[in-house]
Amino acid sequence: MKQWVILAALVGLSAPWGAVAAPPKGDPEKGKQIASQVCLACHGVDGNGTEPTNPEFPKLAGKQPEYLLKQLKDFKSGKRKNEIMAGTVANLTPDDMANLSLYYAGQKARPGMVRIPALVTMGKKIYMDGNPDAGVPACAGCHEADAFGYGFFPHLAGQHAEYTFLQLKRFNTGDRDNDKGLAMQSVTAKMTEQEMRAVAEYLAGVPLK
Amino acid sequence: MKKLCFLLALALTAVQAIPALAGAPQQPKAPGIESKDYVWNETSGEKADILKLKGDSERGRNAYRVCQGCHKPNGAGLSDGTYPQLAGQHATVLIKQMADVRDGRRENPKMFPFAGKHIIDMQEIADVAIYLQNMKIPHDNGKGPGTSLARGNELYKSDCQVCHGENGGGNEKKFYPVLAGQHYKYMLRQIANIRDGKRRNANPKMVKVVQNYTDADMEAVVDYMSRLSMPERSAAKQ
Repeated sequence: MKQWVILAALVGLSAPWGAVAAPPKGDPEKGKQIASQVCLACHGVDGNGTEPTNPEFPKLAGKQPEYLLKQLKDFKSGKRKNEIMAGTVANLTPDDMANLSLYYAGQKARPGMVRIPALVTMGKKIYMDGNPDAGVPACAGCHEADAFGYGFFPHLAGQHAEYTFLQLKRFNTGDRDNDKGLAMQSVTAKMTEQEMRAVAEYLAGVPLK
Repeated sequence: MKKLCFLLALALTAVQAIPALAGAPQQPKAPGIESKDYVWNETSGEKADILKLKGDSERGRNAYRVCQGCHKPNGAGLSDGTYPQLAGQHATVLIKQMADVRDGRRENPKMFPFAGKHIIDMQEIADVAIYLQNMKIPHDNGKGPGTSLARGNELYKSDCQVCHGENGGGNEKKFYPVLAGQHYKYMLRQIANIRDGKRRNANPKMVKVVQNYTDADMEAVVDYMSRLSMPERSAAKQ
């Protein structure tokens, strides 16, 4: 029996798209304590990132808790490769990670800042319609027209442009490969660098309702 | 038994340890119309398994997320024909086409990364198929120039209607697609690919029917087809 459990884990059984992801259970107040001690320097206690121009300091506020928890787990297991984050999460227990995800998901995201306004129109076009000639699907298909995401498809509205751009680049080169079904690698494989920059700029300016 | 489990686990770990290649997954190639033993509507392997599953429209709504970036939330694709209209299509047809893309019998490098086994499982395909079949066919599909509809009507009645039906409703049991509401340019591309042997999962009977068509014949009949309507699956007219 034990062997079969291990086997199932090794095969990497994952929830299908069709299954609605259940948000993690936990205590956001306990998460706040960890945020105040471990995460604050880069992400801020309020989860809005302490340096908008630093591509390694993303906003976490208002993202789906199931998405945040998956990223924390992936940093810990090495599925998402990031030395700083791997070191930071090394001592967190599964409960800590669930609490932290719930805490940051419940924080209010502040509006982002567009740095290259000339790219916003192009970015919006790709976000909403994709690039049919190249075979780039519309981002809105999974991340929703308002960029608020759904389940494991993260909330992107108002994210720092430098962070979004760096992630698109990392999917494009394969450096980031913890996307289910290689969906993001497939999307970005057909995108130009300027298109990725444009989408990132557009998203930074998407209103937060 | 214990040993077998251990070996299996070891083998799977080894497979997982291979680093993923950057970029979009590449489509495999399966024998198609060019091969001697090809049976266009054969249901074996994964295709047969998916056809036996009961699809769930509600689950399909979620599984469809990875499709709607191109095919749009209402299933309508793009009226310029880049992406086909899928709303109201027979679930059986959708399953056959998806399975053929997965196997590499229908070549489609744009679609494969979002339809392969790595991204969507058999149950999800069944769910998406029924979700799309239950959607209403929109009326604003891309249409032809309307310059040779009489000729198109004549060709459709003599060559196409027997399988695809008077209203373009196809036949779900025989995997004949719904044509009503489909985009002109998409159908034009498909009929040309079928005629020229480039659509490798085509029905050889259809290849025979269209093999002597001129480009003008194809444009005429497809223009006629782009104006067909299947009332029982169409959206209410405004």
